[in-house]
Amino acid sequence: MIKLEKVTKIYPDGTEAVKGISLEIPKGEFCVLLGPSGCGKTTTLKMINRLIPLTSGRILIDGKDITEVNENELRRGIGYAIQEIGLFPHMTVGENIATVPRLLHWPKGRIQRRVEELLELVGLVPPEEFVNKYPAELSGGQRQRVGVARALGADPPILLMDEPFGAIDPITRERLQDEFLRIQEEIKKTIVFVTHDINEAIKMGDRIALMRDGRLVQYATPAELLAHPKDDFVRDFVGADRTLKALRLLRVREVMDEQPPSVEASESLSEAGERMRQLGVNFLPVVDREGRFLGWLNRSALRPGREGRVQELMTPYSVLATPDTPLNEALSMMFESAVGNLAVVDGEGKLRGLLTFRRMHEVLRESYREEDEK
Amino acid sequence: MRRRIVFLMLLGTFIGLTIWITGIGKLGIYSTFTGQDLLRETGVHLQYVGFAELLAIVIGVSLGVLVSRPWAQKHKISTLVIGAAGMGQCIPSMALIALMAPLLGFGLWSVIVALFIYGLLPILRNTYAGFRSIDPAIIEAARGMGMSRGQIVRRIELPLARPVIMAGIRTSTVINVGTAALAVLVGGAGLGRVILTGVLSRQPLITLQGAAPTAALAIILDFLLETLENWLTPRGLKVKKAQA
Repeated sequence: MIKLEKVTKIYPDGTEAVKGISLEIPKGEFCVLLGPSGCGKTTTLKMINRLIPLTSGRILIDGKDITEVNENELRRGIGYAIQEIGLFPHMTVGENIATVPRLLHWPKGRIQRRVEELLELVGLVPPEEFVNKYPAELSGGQRQRVGVARALGADPPILLMDEPFGAIDPITRERLQDEFLRIQEEIKKTIVFVTHDINEAIKMGDRIALMRDGRLVQYATPAELLAHPKDDFVRDFVGADRTLKALRLLRVREVMDEQPPSVEASESLSEAGERMRQLGVNFLPVVDREGRFLGWLNRSALRPGREGRVQELMTPYSVLATPDTPLNEALSMMFESAVGNLAVVDGEGKLRGLLTFRRMHEVLRESYREEDEK
Repeated sequence: MRRRIVFLMLLGTFIGLTIWITGIGKLGIYSTFTGQDLLRETGVHLQYVGFAELLAIVIGVSLGVLVSRPWAQKHKISTLVIGAAGMGQCIPSMALIALMAPLLGFGLWSVIVALFIYGLLPILRNTYAGFRSIDPAIIEAARGMGMSRGQIVRRIELPLARPVIMAGIRTSTVINVGTAALAVLVGGAGLGRVILTGVLSRQPLITLQGAAPTAALAIILDFLLETLENWLTPRGLKVKKAQA
């Protein structure tokens, strides 16, 4: 656990970069320091590994004051990754990653195993292809992967990251973020992550500490920050589209109608038509005998007296969601599909649920009502 | 490649000239220096250069490292030290060597100190420039991972600055091979003695007998140090950039 107690930083020229911040970051949590440039977020981060000495206040890691430990030993126990990466150009990828294990005098075999393990973890496979390359031979994205692997070198419980994906093109950044979240699932580190990008903060953080002018304005989960901004500054910072941003925090499974009505492809059209009238719906999902989703039956295509089976009039589906699809992607799919509803299927293709605009609206209204009534 | 050829042709010419003049033996009432004489003077010449360079490297690199530290830069010590070293080189080489005689007397020490002062600047300046050219993010990453100051200098900064430092040593050495020819003015020996003998006796060929091997020596040392420089450049700095 990391605990900041009334931490301040005043530079020799009199600038007050950080004005009394108190913050607790529980073990294994991903905490994002967010704010506009010059708000003191990077200074705060660098005070945790003592790259910047604090003027007053205390920082405790697992209850121990960081100034009681030798600063180099402190840093060897804390992973550090920065936007500019700062790989050592005269060392191979393997040597770069082995930096901290070497400082800690790990035996050779253990270092080698660790390097391979880390290269695999960050997706530089096969490891033997990358271990002897030099940083100059890698692309920007690959270099940042090495940077992250190096920060994880000696398996530190804490990771400090200063805009690690800031200088990477948007597509690669998105991918690195996803991969890093997957890695975090696996390694469960306590992470302090600096960014000025609200979208990145919402996507990555368990908690967001929003800072302004050296002060902590709001410290909350992303959902909380979006739903209940503390003041106008937070409201402005999260943006007018905060409801849409909140969608990304929800998964389809939390919103979908489970066990939706459906018809089997082999049923007769008249039966299906009757069912739709009873349910009062314009579309019904069509499934096969095993419950696998096949497409949609449109009520307007049904004419009275028309004989035959459902499969003859069925429209094949164009988009599909899984229970784990983020809601923002699901919403976008719903606009793309002619049906306006979204079928949710599991790994075997079986129909698990149905997402409708009405249901989505209800859920979002629910979480934002409280604030609307203020 | 073309540079190599010019190099070899020049070197061949100088060595050829030296051998030819040495072979002549008699020039009127004068005789040319023997091969043994020349080898001995070349040896002394090399000792001057070697000794002075050794001093200049030890002191130049250490000073360069010191003045590249952040505190030295903050207090403008870097500018001061490098400026002072620059003054040393502003003084014409002949004047500098001549100035040493009243201070340190005639002989070895005057020569060594003068050559040292003269050779110091390129090494000091290049060491400083080499350290300054390192991306600050590299140093920050190293600090952030818990490397001590000494470890950063030894494992990161020195290897990265090495090619630039080596270039400085090369420049300094080549300059000093020429300057060492002036040692004879303060009672030293070396190839300068052969040159001066030629001047005093108005025998251009004897002057050439000292000048040609001096030039050849500079060319050879330049080539050797260039090879060494290449060899000492970390591989990671030589690989072609794969992607931007």
